[in-house]
Amino acid sequence: MQPTRCLLKRSVWKGPHIVPLPIVRPEVGKKIVPIRTQARSATILPNFVGLKFQIHNGKVYHDLTVTEDMVGHKLGEFSTTRKPFKWAKK
Amino acid sequence: MVVSLPLPITITITITIPIPHPPSPVFILGVNFNENKLVKKALESFYALGPQTSARVMAKYYIHARAKVGTLAPKTVTALTAELSTMTIENEARKIVLDNIKRLRDIGTYRGRRHAMGLPVRGQQTRNQISNARKLNKIERKG
Repeated sequence: MQPTRCLLKRSVWKGPHIVPLPIVRPEVGKKIVPIRTQARSATILPNFVGLKFQIHNGKVYHDLTVTEDMVGHKLGEFSTTRKPFKWAKK
Repeated sequence: MVVSLPLPITITITITIPIPHPPSPVFILGVNFNENKLVKKALESFYALGPQTSARVMAKYYIHARAKVGTLAPKTVTALTAELSTMTIENEARKIVLDNIKRLRDIGTYRGRRHAMGLPVRGQQTRNQISNARKLNKIERKG
């Protein structure tokens, strides 16, 4: 990628936007409890891979299982905030 | 009084009219270009080869900015073809763009969804003026 493209994004010296999330590694054999959060702007870090999240969209919490491809994106990108437009039926 | 006229002298003037020879096409990377086309334009007709890269390539082979394709030596043409074949242009570059869009769609991001819907991706208004988004934003993007 071009260096200018990267520079249009967040400054490197800041590092990724890290939000303290209550991440608890699930113990083996126990039921995995998803991490419920409203921090949509939190960057997905490599250590999130495999965890389950519930991300707020302003109304409800959407489920998300983090995969390797999602690293570097924000949590909010995976929880849509808009309702598809439909013509009102009379 | 009789004036002796000089003998009639015939003067033949040969005028050579240059017959325009038919423009011979020049092949660069399998595409033939009219010899009157600018080298800059010819290079930039390839996908993912813009002004910056074309200027760099032309500087490398000592081609001046307003040079036409017809003036290139055959050696330079083959060198250009060899140079372009090593670069990621045309289908390879298109594939990169497609893969990026497909990745966004597969992981289920908002941007990927907007591509699939054919709507603006970066938060633009959608009331008017989204013809470019309608034309371009697709999973199987063309152009």
